[in-house]
Amino acid sequence: MFNAPALRLFLSLFTGVFLIFLYGPMAVLSILSFQTGPEGGPQFPIIEWSLYWYRHLLGHVPPSRVAPLDIGPALLRSLSLAFATTLVSTTLGVMSAQAFRRRFRGSGLVFFLIVLGMIVPGVLVGLGMALVSTFLDLDRAWWSTSFVVHVVYTYPFAFLVMMAIFNRFDRTIEEAAWSMGVTPATTFRRITFPLIFPGVLSALLFSFTLSYDEFSRTLFTAGGDQTLPLTIYGSFSVEIHPNVFAFGVLTTLASFTLLAIYGLLMWLSVQRAKRFAAQEDSV
Amino acid sequence: MLSPTTNPPAALAAPPIRAWRLPAATWLLAPGMLWMALFLVLPMLMMVYVSFWTQTTFTVEPQLTLESWVTFFTTPAYLDALLTTVWLWLAVLLASLVIGYPVALYIGLFVRNKVIQTGLLVLCVIPFWTSFLIRILAWRPMLGSEGAVNLLLMKAGLIQEPLQVLLYSPLSVVIGMTQIYVVFVVGPVAFMLSRIEPSLIEAARDLGASTLTILRRIILPLSMPGVAVGAIFVTIMVLGEFATASALSGRKVNMLGNIIVTQVGSLKWAFASVVGVVLTALTALVVAALLKFAKLREEI
Repeated sequence: MFNAPALRLFLSLFTGVFLIFLYGPMAVLSILSFQTGPEGGPQFPIIEWSLYWYRHLLGHVPPSRVAPLDIGPALLRSLSLAFATTLVSTTLGVMSAQAFRRRFRGSGLVFFLIVLGMIVPGVLVGLGMALVSTFLDLDRAWWSTSFVVHVVYTYPFAFLVMMAIFNRFDRTIEEAAWSMGVTPATTFRRITFPLIFPGVLSALLFSFTLSYDEFSRTLFTAGGDQTLPLTIYGSFSVEIHPNVFAFGVLTTLASFTLLAIYGLLMWLSVQRAKRFAAQEDSV
Repeated sequence: MLSPTTNPPAALAAPPIRAWRLPAATWLLAPGMLWMALFLVLPMLMMVYVSFWTQTTFTVEPQLTLESWVTFFTTPAYLDALLTTVWLWLAVLLASLVIGYPVALYIGLFVRNKVIQTGLLVLCVIPFWTSFLIRILAWRPMLGSEGAVNLLLMKAGLIQEPLQVLLYSPLSVVIGMTQIYVVFVVGPVAFMLSRIEPSLIEAARDLGASTLTILRRIILPLSMPGVAVGAIFVTIMVLGEFATASALSGRKVNMLGNIIVTQVGSLKWAFASVVGVVLTALTALVVAALLKFAKLREEI
């Protein structure tokens, strides 16, 4: 549409280089994770291709000077934390967005207070929560102090996603159900929920991945038991070995699997909506 | 099907629609508001309060004093951290705009096929599903003296000796942060650009406007809300940073966030709180200024 061939060519090349910039480091890291071990270091050239560092990660190699990365318990904690955070923040997000479907006094203030959760730098929220728990003499732990600040962070995302969904929502469908005497609970379950399902799915995905990967809010609030990002951060201070790279590749693959499941569910939901629309048209 | 003509009593017996309205907003909002009050507002207020407490070697006493504040504003190392935070923010913001805007221009304006457009945006967002810390770490084998960039440059004969400035320098911190946060510029700007009516540009073209004039007088102003939103995201992220700064500078670049981490590590709660309040004030100031450009709520 914009007839400027030279500019178009330049911009397409620029975008190509940009994608290399975006993916280059991760590609290099993935290649180096197949370095041989334990003598192969985290740099080129690849002495010999091997899965040594992956086996090292799983503890399937004889002990060497490189200490194993203790990810098992941390992984379990991170997954449980992300799961709990997702449940609570999605519920809060749906409830709050539902409230915002009608105008009410003070809505501006409420909106601000919710969004504040995602804009206050994580290190500050973590510091504040650590102060509160220290002076109330409460122990800090990943399942208590980290959990509550994770929800503070992910709840705004869930809320905004649900707001966007409700904004495009035809409320006459709900009113039709009510006017036929269907109870609000049934209406929500049978009418509202299926319609907002794609939004709920997105809220779940956002909450889970944000919490799973959250580092700055966890640093001061987790207490003694570490979550996965804290374990990774701990490995930064010592010499880096390709086992951390191997872990990076595995965790990335896990995240992509989650993303693929989300994509599949989203696609199924769209197909269902299409079938539903087609049925309505044929009636 | 149920219809009023065949079943009038049911319709009459049904309560008025008003009674079936959504539960009051108050009850829906109460849990969320309580959560935010207890776990966000209270901690932030606590931070302001503790910044005035008296710091002893290992504890803080609730006797109010300005001591920690005076220390902050009279110690060169801490003022340096404040300056470092500001210039790093400006450098990363500038780099993100310079790199992100052309990409957004291409995706939002030049790619008109919806599938390719969405595909490119998804491609930009996918790295976010990689752990943040792993993404930082990935720059080390890239930029180190035996890293991929130096190897390629030496193979190409552009340099004889490996460039040492690439890693463990302020440059590597800017590169690392820009790579992570630039997507916050690409997304919103591409979104604003994709909403520009093609006829608007055709009209300008018909009236004899050059490509440069169209870019400057039509496209740039219409994309400003996206630029402002992107700038706000980048600002919030960079000002609160500390992990990238310490991991890619070898602890040579200290931001306010790094000072907080060190102070908490040595249990200097009062002093950490002072730095926290300064960082809060800085963030609020910058975001308030950027919000003047964009009404964030209307964009959603």
